Amino acid sequence: MPERKAHDASDETLGRSELGRLAAIVAAAWAVPGLGHILLGRVQRGLLFAMLIWGSFALGLAHEGRLALRDPRQPVLSSLQVVANLGVGPADVAARIGVYGKPVYRFQGAPDWRSEDRVERIFRERARSGVSIYGTAYLWTAGLMNLLLLFDVWDIGKRRKD
Amino acid sequence: MRSHFLHMVIYATIVSTFFATMFRDTPKGRLRLGGILWLAMVGGALALAYVMYPFPR
Repeated sequence: MPERKAHDASDETLGRSELGRLAAIVAAAWAVPGLGHILLGRVQRGLLFAMLIWGSFALGLAHEGRLALRDPRQPVLSSLQVVANLGVGPADVAARIGVYGKPVYRFQGAPDWRSEDRVERIFRERARSGVSIYGTAYLWTAGLMNLLLLFDVWDIGKRRKD
Repeated sequence: MRSHFLHMVIYATIVSTFFATMFRDTPKGRLRLGGILWLAMVGGALALAYVMYPFPR
């Protein structure tokens, strides 16, 4: 496949310093959704991605979306939910501080639905909200879209994509 | 905002715009892919709802 060979050749031309620069851009893209594309010169695309991801994140918070906590009873599923939340970068930490009062990512032991622990109580109340399912979908979508963008930034940086 | 339909439309718009921007480079191509995705999501949900309408439970 000649096309594939061309891609491989372009990969090899990236030097160590360029790879380091690209890794820094990917990190910046995770920290600030849309920034990766802007740093790579795709300004319009980056701004549109930023608008979509920040918009989805804001809608999620406005609709009391669930900021997932790792549950020892469902470790895999709840961990994947946390990863989806973390996809938007440090904004997730800020959201948790705003909602829970601290950057918490897991329940302290198995959650008890009658517990008076502040984090568990807030988590429970938000889950009970009639609009929380919409908010959760927006939050997870924002995170997953940003994670997908990291691969896009990597491919553009590696010249596999325009 | 508690309208399930409105949320579905907003969600479909966000996701279809995202994928169209990511996978197509020309405005025409983006509009076409975005439109197909949007119609698949919203139209598909409405079609499914129509089929399920006689079976409320």
